[in-house]
Amino acid sequence: MKSPSRSPLIFVLLVLLLVLLFLLDFRLGSIRITFPEMLAHLRGTQLLSHEQLIILKSFRLPRLVTALLAGAALPVCGLQMQTLFRNPLAGPYVLGISSGASFGAAVVVMSVGAGGMVAGWGLALSSWVGAGLVMVLLLVVSFRIRDVMTILILGIMFSSGLNAIISIMQYFSNASALKSFIIWSMGSLGNVTGSQLLIMSGAVIPVLVFTLFYPKMLNGMMLGEEYAMSMGIRVRRSRIIIFATTSILAGTITAFCGPIGFIGIAVPHITRFLLVQTDHRILLPATMITGMVIMLFSDIVSQLPGTDRMLPINAVTSLIGIPVVIWLVILNRKTASF
Amino acid sequence: MDPSADNRIVSLEHMAIGYAPEKVLLSEINLSLLPGEMVALVGRNGTGKSTLLRSILGFLPVLGGECLLFGAPADSFDLRRRARVVSYVSSRVPAMPSMSVRELVSLGRMPHTGWAGRQGARDREAVWKAMGELGMEDFADRKVDQLSDGERHRAMIARAMAQETVLMVLDEPTAFLDIPNKYELIRTLGRFRDNGRSVIFSTHDLETAWLWADKFWVIHGSKIVEGAPEDLGIMHVFEHLFADSDITFDPSERRFMPHFVPRGTICLEGEEPLVMYWTRTALERLGYRIDKHSGRATIRVTGRQGEYGWQWITDREEKFFPDIYSLARFLIQAE
Repeated sequence: MKSPSRSPLIFVLLVLLLVLLFLLDFRLGSIRITFPEMLAHLRGTQLLSHEQLIILKSFRLPRLVTALLAGAALPVCGLQMQTLFRNPLAGPYVLGISSGASFGAAVVVMSVGAGGMVAGWGLALSSWVGAGLVMVLLLVVSFRIRDVMTILILGIMFSSGLNAIISIMQYFSNASALKSFIIWSMGSLGNVTGSQLLIMSGAVIPVLVFTLFYPKMLNGMMLGEEYAMSMGIRVRRSRIIIFATTSILAGTITAFCGPIGFIGIAVPHITRFLLVQTDHRILLPATMITGMVIMLFSDIVSQLPGTDRMLPINAVTSLIGIPVVIWLVILNRKTASF
Repeated sequence: MDPSADNRIVSLEHMAIGYAPEKVLLSEINLSLLPGEMVALVGRNGTGKSTLLRSILGFLPVLGGECLLFGAPADSFDLRRRARVVSYVSSRVPAMPSMSVRELVSLGRMPHTGWAGRQGARDREAVWKAMGELGMEDFADRKVDQLSDGERHRAMIARAMAQETVLMVLDEPTAFLDIPNKYELIRTLGRFRDNGRSVIFSTHDLETAWLWADKFWVIHGSKIVEGAPEDLGIMHVFEHLFADSDITFDPSERRFMPHFVPRGTICLEGEEPLVMYWTRTALERLGYRIDKHSGRATIRVTGRQGEYGWQWITDREEKFFPDIYSLARFLIQAE
């Protein structure tokens, strides 16, 4: 029952699991390369072949880094949204961020056409702009509206509206554009390479580090905004910080990887359950680690080891996330309750 | 006018409150609170009790006049400084994640800790002391969602205690408590006051409030007046409080009575004081005025030591009842 002694052990186990899955995910793929082999290459003791190097640089490492970033970022967004809205079903996308990103992607794919744009900059950039516009709108709204629940409802309405527009666009688009868009919307960790990866890491990593510096603010928000104020938390400012970081994290990940479902909602619950904790000083880093673990696991599953086929990552994370949420909410209501 | 004006904890001068500048709910509010005072804020539903409390707490902007905390305008305090001097407990226990009572109470230390919220020995001591004040030491490691509503509310108050403020503001703290818990809570707040701190609480429970409060702030109509409950009694404030309803205030009994449908006068006879008292209560509840000498009928209480009987006597007939219940049933049907 007593929790403080339990956290460090779970932390160590999670980190061990993370390393294990990283090594496992590292060696998966059509060409076998292991992490020790890469280290040996870097030391110069045993060089990798040219082919292996290309695979490593353009596919394997980028995919792993993308998985780690998405795995850390989306659950942090979910955690913040659950705390801010005091709602266990809130996730990174409740504010309409992913709809904004999808809208941006849809505009490029269906107006300009798929072709070279899909793999390149155009798609990522325009969906980033889409997510950014939603964020600006949210911030404007949150300056004018006092009640945070009104903002939640506005976010949901806004996201539904955008989805409606997207489906109209889909209806009038040709088959190949439609297919490109649908494939984008299934999510992929493997399309982010080179300078895109650099941009993505550049946007995500500093914000992730920044979130680690305001656990107290999130703790204060757990009882709602009035109590937060009565305990000295600047609620308006906190809300804006939470919206801005969530938008940047979820928007960037969605722009580069497409929407990735359920990780953002499920991981905070799993973390709370594992650690029996509500203190965000522990929850924030733990959520990142748990998220990375689950993302790597999903990535391994999505590659269907032993075959040369792949599943879309969005489907895998949902299939893993849904039973967890059901289990936590129905069978374990006490710990999952908010 | 007030000799101790300098040490007033709260002083409201010509203050106007409301949710928006164009919707002023109350204006010309002139009230004050001294150290070691407990104030009960009283008024009908929707008259602005919560609005006044929220304005004092800084949740709502002051729409006019001044709200002074320790002599300085309240909005000159930043939230953190204000949180070190004023704590708050709302009428409802908020939805919260499944945390232990200790974690919940620890949240009260927030205005005193650094950016990370790390707690030192001083903080842990304050948390422990606050849980002790509310008798919650044994609950320290219990999860809040395993507590009853009353216990959770107590934990919320312990959290405010741990904040170690000079002033605690509570919105209807007794609303969801049973009678023993209600008195226990007021006693705890009384101890808080006896340590030189101050309490403002809103309540509908006048009977409890005037046993404990040093002062009442009464909102009636568009006005708000302050004074010892007895002063307000002399000023007929309580008679006016519910003037537009069918409740009347009985100053001699310090209680509020609904207007019963009058059924006429009845004569009551008997010896045993306890039985007489309860019989009279029942007859009043049915709308009878009691008279010692005359009435359309006479009720005679007979018997002693647990064996009582009630006789209903008129010129024409006489009936006997073994308890007040059957007497009352008869009287209701007879009329």
